Amino acid sequence: MWARNMFESCLEIRNHFSNYLDDLCTPEARKSIRYHLSFCEVCREQLEQWQAVQGELRALPRRQVPAEVGLRLRVEMSHLFHRDLLSRLLVHLENALKPLLIPATGGVLTAVISFCLFMGSRTVPISDVPDVPVQLTTPARVQELAPIDFNTGDNGLVLVTQINSAGRVKGYQLLSGERSPELMQRLDRMIYFSYFRPATMFGIPTDGQVVLSLRRITVRG
Amino acid sequence: MGSGRSVDITLDHALPAVDGEAAFVGELRAGSEDAFAYLMAVYQNPVFNLIWHIVENSADASDVLQDVFVKVFKGIKGFNGDSSLRTWIYRIAVHEASNHRRGWIRRHWREPISMDDPESPSAAVASEAASSERSPYQVLEQAEREGVVQRALASLAPPYRMVVVLREIEGLPYEEIAQVLGLAEGTVKSRLLRGRELLRRKLAGYVGKEHV
Repeated sequence: MWARNMFESCLEIRNHFSNYLDDLCTPEARKSIRYHLSFCEVCREQLEQWQAVQGELRALPRRQVPAEVGLRLRVEMSHLFHRDLLSRLLVHLENALKPLLIPATGGVLTAVISFCLFMGSRTVPISDVPDVPVQLTTPARVQELAPIDFNTGDNGLVLVTQINSAGRVKGYQLLSGERSPELMQRLDRMIYFSYFRPATMFGIPTDGQVVLSLRRITVRG
Repeated sequence: MGSGRSVDITLDHALPAVDGEAAFVGELRAGSEDAFAYLMAVYQNPVFNLIWHIVENSADASDVLQDVFVKVFKGIKGFNGDSSLRTWIYRIAVHEASNHRRGWIRRHWREPISMDDPESPSAAVASEAASSERSPYQVLEQAEREGVVQRALASLAPPYRMVVVLREIEGLPYEEIAQVLGLAEGTVKSRLLRGRELLRRKLAGYVGKEHV
């Protein structure tokens, strides 16, 4: 078997020198090459030359990047890196916003219109129904003053009127102003024909007082 | 003189572990600037070395290096992890460097070398001789030796040269070379065999004196 695997010629041996140098031969081939080299001086010399050339190639100095080239390269790459980052950000931003542009605009407009409509419907209406006083006590008030024309003089009149629970005048007391008979007569008529709202306590009408201040009243009939 | 050489935190051959590569790629894809700075620190020198051996010119290699990292930056989102990150970056680098080399003008035009240029061979030798503990003769002999090997490598046809560079200089396994170049593994093996044999013939008289 050994004899059958042996290489027969120098040419055949030399075709395996490359693999032999890289230690890629099978054990049988390696044995065969070594056997051939033991007696073939020419092949041995050639293999030594192969090894010498390999040594020379591996001993060649490795080229280093010149310092200025390395610096230029780093600057160029940094510039490229940041330029590309910026453009990439812009593209990403554009791509992200484009699909949202129409929906976002529509959404904002819808929100504005809805807000306006909602706020319009929320306007508080003015009610015609008179409020029902809910206080514990309410004072007596003038509901309608009789249209009696008389002259109160320059200083006017101040009087306190007693109103009963039915809204009728029980009496009055003139605090200031002229006290002429004619004026008192007209004042009596005006008080008599006037309407008052009685005072209330817990919603129940009761007696009360109204202070009236009359000044230059001209009632047009 | 020696202090004129660049001293940077950039690494040469320390590549990220494969286990942590998925997380690292995730950070790159997320747009982490720190992750990209780390990527550049780790890969810029190996990629520059690879490109230099294809375009054979430092200025062109610098331009191609920049193009490569721009493509890496723009294409990292499309990196689906069917190969290692290094393989993917090397594939871009080989593609960009090959395209750059195909230009007729670039192929026929060489920039004049200034004696004051710190990147020029003579300036590099002078700098090395001044800073090294070896004698100027040894430094010059070493530089000449490297020049001969470099010229022999450059004289190989691109298909052979790329395979030899990726294998012997970058130390990539056959499978990864096949992925970088988009070839079958068998094709890589045959090209490597042919490239090594061509180099041996070109350098036979030179390396034989010392090594044989």
